Amino acid sequence: MSKMNCSEFLNHIDEWIEGQEVPGARDHSRACSDCRGLAEDLGTIRLAAVTLPEDDPEISPRVWDALRTQLEQEGLIRTSLAHPVARSAGWFDSVFSFIPRPALATAYVGALVVGGFFLTGPVRMATDQERWLERTQRSTAELNAQLESAEKDAVASMANFSPDVTADLRKNLSIVDNDIALCEKSVQEEPESEIARDYLYSAYQQKADLLAQISEHGDESR
Amino acid sequence: MSTLSVCPHLKSKAVILVPSLLALTALPVWAKHIEKHFKVGAHPIITIHNPNGVVTIKAWTKQEVMVMADPTTDAVEVEADQTNNRVDIMTHQISDTATPEDTRADFQVNVPEDAELQIHDDSGAVSIANVLGDMNVDTIAAGVGMADTAGYTTVSTVNGSFHCLRCAGHIEVRSISGNIQLDDIRSSDVQATTSTGKIVFNGQFLPNGSYRLNDYSGVIEVRFSPVDSFDLSARSLKGQVNNQANLEPTTHHSFLPRGVKSLFGALNAGGAHLELSSFNGTINILKRN
Repeated sequence: MSKMNCSEFLNHIDEWIEGQEVPGARDHSRACSDCRGLAEDLGTIRLAAVTLPEDDPEISPRVWDALRTQLEQEGLIRTSLAHPVARSAGWFDSVFSFIPRPALATAYVGALVVGGFFLTGPVRMATDQERWLERTQRSTAELNAQLESAEKDAVASMANFSPDVTADLRKNLSIVDNDIALCEKSVQEEPESEIARDYLYSAYQQKADLLAQISEHGDESR
Repeated sequence: MSTLSVCPHLKSKAVILVPSLLALTALPVWAKHIEKHFKVGAHPIITIHNPNGVVTIKAWTKQEVMVMADPTTDAVEVEADQTNNRVDIMTHQISDTATPEDTRADFQVNVPEDAELQIHDDSGAVSIANVLGDMNVDTIAAGVGMADTAGYTTVSTVNGSFHCLRCAGHIEVRSISGNIQLDDIRSSDVQATTSTGKIVFNGQFLPNGSYRLNDYSGVIEVRFSPVDSFDLSARSLKGQVNNQANLEPTTHHSFLPRGVKSLFGALNAGGAHLELSSFNGTINILKRN
């Protein structure tokens, strides 16, 4: 069995965070916490970029200047961006389209760090926490909708198992639901905690895997 | 203490009667016993799909796959077929009115050492010994036991336990509530995840090896000896981290929010990467007895 490494994962990270099927990426994402964390952060950025309301305040030019300086220092870009790029649905792609993909990943992280540094002042903390919470809730609402539909299918296929196995499956579904609830509480308490969000997304992943396993085994037991 | 004395006459009758009775009681099982042999080449693939029962797989030196199956009743049918270098073993339920116990089938399968296995068993047990090829085992409640295996091993259970003894190669285990025990492991790449189950790692830390153990609310227990070398990263968001290792602090680690119980450091020269992570469970790093 071939195994994707970090470099290959980074080469396909754009497709992966857009939800495209990339052979080996799921396994690598599960196995490598660094790449998984990066993909989740990029997913959050992408979601935020796409869903930013039009009346959001303009991001300070200082952020763009600092970002540009860092990218230039790292040799990732050679020409300065003349003007801050206007936000639109494709703003992120347009900023970084000329940078090679492995470098792009580093640049994304750089953007996170620099952006995070300027955005986490005490004055703005409450607002930022609300934003993090809102964004997390927005992305988990989508996940919840998908999982609800998958759960209906999985519960239907439980009829194909023996009563003992069905009882085990129900018990374990409760366990993952409880994990999700605990993690959601933790994210609400600390919306900016990357670790709390990691656990929350992992709990959702765990439930998705379990539902897939139930459906698959149920169909085969028919 | 009391002793029984049996007269020689009765004893001779018993000699005849007992084996006959045993043979009669054994007859229903042996009537359904199936044995098949398949000649295979290098790296054969063996798939087993058995919803309920015990699956025992052992490696042997023959370039042949032997399948012995014992379905408990006529409610199930066992199929074992070969396609090129692949042997597929399946259990089908053929009666709609069968109880779960009626659909049970036990297997003993002997395979070449380099065989690749794909096993699917909802409930019962799976036991694998001495197989060195890649393995994928997928169960719901069935416990999985492995000994002296290698290759790229992936195991997924819902509440079945996993026990691995002297396993090598890449080991990846996922469970929701099953316990995971890794004893005398000689692997450079181990990843184990469970939600409420307990994870015990009692193995070797190979240079540059990677050992990632994660759970939500269970206990993670790592056993080490004073001569082991590893770089440790342990964190529990809402739980506890207990440590008996004399670690050299490391300065380079990621920022952690308030309240997270964490521990970073190197034991001896470091090298192996040990990453332990829990949401609200307890992490114990304990000296090996």
